[in-house]
Amino acid sequence: MMEEKIISRDDLLKICKDVIEKGHTLLSPGIAEYNVVKDVSQIKLDASALPTKTSYKSYVFPKAEPVLYYKRSKSDVQLIDVNVDGKNIIILGAKPCDTNSLNIMKHLFNWDYSDEFFNLREKHFITIGLMCSHYDEYCFCTSIGLSPVSEKGSDIFLIPLDKNNFALRIVTEKGKEFIEPYSEFLNTVDETLSRQVTENVKQPEVAFDCKEVHEWLGSNFENPKWEGIGNICLSCAQCAFVCPVCHCFDIVDEDYSYTEGRRMKNWDGCQFGNFTLHASGHNPRDIQSKRYRQRVNHKFRYYVDKFGEIFCTGCGRCSRGCPVSIDIKEIVSNCKD
Amino acid sequence: MNNIYMPHLAEIKEIIDESPDTRTFRLRFKDEDTSDSFEFKAGQFAEYSAFGDGESTFCIASSPTRKDFIECSFKVYGKVTQALYRLNKGDTIGIRGPYGNWFPLEDMKGKNLLFIAGGIGIAPVRCVIDNALDLRDDFKDIPIICGARSVSDIIYKQEIKEWKARSDLKTVITVDPGGETKSWDGEVGFVPAVVEKTAPPSDNTAVILCGPPVMIKFTMPVLTKLGFKDEDVYTTLENRMKCGLGKCGRCNIGNVYVCKDGPVFTYAQIKRLPQEF
Repeated sequence: MMEEKIISRDDLLKICKDVIEKGHTLLSPGIAEYNVVKDVSQIKLDASALPTKTSYKSYVFPKAEPVLYYKRSKSDVQLIDVNVDGKNIIILGAKPCDTNSLNIMKHLFNWDYSDEFFNLREKHFITIGLMCSHYDEYCFCTSIGLSPVSEKGSDIFLIPLDKNNFALRIVTEKGKEFIEPYSEFLNTVDETLSRQVTENVKQPEVAFDCKEVHEWLGSNFENPKWEGIGNICLSCAQCAFVCPVCHCFDIVDEDYSYTEGRRMKNWDGCQFGNFTLHASGHNPRDIQSKRYRQRVNHKFRYYVDKFGEIFCTGCGRCSRGCPVSIDIKEIVSNCKD
Repeated sequence: MNNIYMPHLAEIKEIIDESPDTRTFRLRFKDEDTSDSFEFKAGQFAEYSAFGDGESTFCIASSPTRKDFIECSFKVYGKVTQALYRLNKGDTIGIRGPYGNWFPLEDMKGKNLLFIAGGIGIAPVRCVIDNALDLRDDFKDIPIICGARSVSDIIYKQEIKEWKARSDLKTVITVDPGGETKSWDGEVGFVPAVVEKTAPPSDNTAVILCGPPVMIKFTMPVLTKLGFKDEDVYTTLENRMKCGLGKCGRCNIGNVYVCKDGPVFTYAQIKRLPQEF
């Protein structure tokens, strides 16, 4: 599939403008989050920016969404189904640590039962990734098999060649379909140019070996380390909410009148104390150390065993945002010590 | 769009007050096609909705061989079970399911079946008992041992009466010490002690054991002593669930999802799991 072209920043913005005018949703990273672009002058396309505080997960898997509406009369109930509108969403300038997120989540939302709320949105996602040229102490994409130049999950991948030009790699059929109408803006390019950039990009050092971590977790379900972390962790679950792949949710009913309401699927987090609390009062993960152990195991062991993929993209958001500076990279890197 | 979270509507056809805090609903789907096509196996569970309060997870307590209705039994504990308790005959609830695996009755053909149940754990066991009784010739001896905290806490009194009346079953009912009444003619003692006392033969026997974790914990050593193998003891795990579909992320024990890989496990399987349930 891989085909490489060159495109100028101005032409790229022209495409963006057209995309918006056609009524599609265009998302681009701001500082805190991926913003819906109303005016193309907002678009930064800055490869050296740090990851946004949150990923674009909420555009495929919203924080809160109704799965049905109900109306109660005397003893009858009427259910009203909901439909997800399959509107195209184009993400421009996503970090490589974000682009792979939907690929990872796909397994969970499709084993046996297919969650069409996720699937319909994911199907209409067009991901234009952007090489990443800046990392901080929390980044560890290289440790989990990604990199600042990974095209995994991107339909189109951009590499800045100079201030005004990008190498544009068409990675998937979906990407090709998207860019075809704009072929007038694409020119042939000497591919060594982009290779030079990607080969020289600064990369975070590999901090741990996933196989070793997987193995360690398998034999250290009981380990005093968990208690140590559990004593620090506040159970706030911000790590789950900023994570580009965490998918836990709750299902709750919300009445908005005596007779009507809706059933909501809301984000939830495995770090909350009542997450696994039984009605009887029994709680399998009753203390924080067990909940943190679940989080690390889920990411580096359970998901791997189940779906063959590490449940993490190495973006470092969970650690960057942690109010008590728990750093998952540090924990897994030093697990054996 | 296929909405996996959309329940079927069902009417409460009958309410049976089993004990002061436990009720059984006899339910029939409102849609005839669903009624005809709804198939499940003994041990599977469903998500039951009280609209406005949410969903709760219980096993299907009736036998799959009895097709006109399905039954569920629940003890009033949390928000949803309280809401269900407030409903009346003729009211509407939601049902999603069936989910999860089941007791492999087809593999137990030709064997003795030993049923041991405590408290509300009798609900999944009853489903298998009724199923086995409808296929009585497939199995050899069927001893049943049921325990409850007190005489008034015994549920399925009607079913127990019928089991006791049958000559091809051996039914023992016990209540915890102090839970007996003056006229109580059954056993007095905790389930593990009664199992030890009755000493059912372990030869060619599959055990179906459900009840509170503490009961299972103390019954297992007794069964081992009596010669039962861990892989012949079937039980269920009851982790908290929301979706029942392997997505919401709360019922896992290690990489096992109770909602999909369970709720039925052999004791041998449970022993291999991380001890976090």
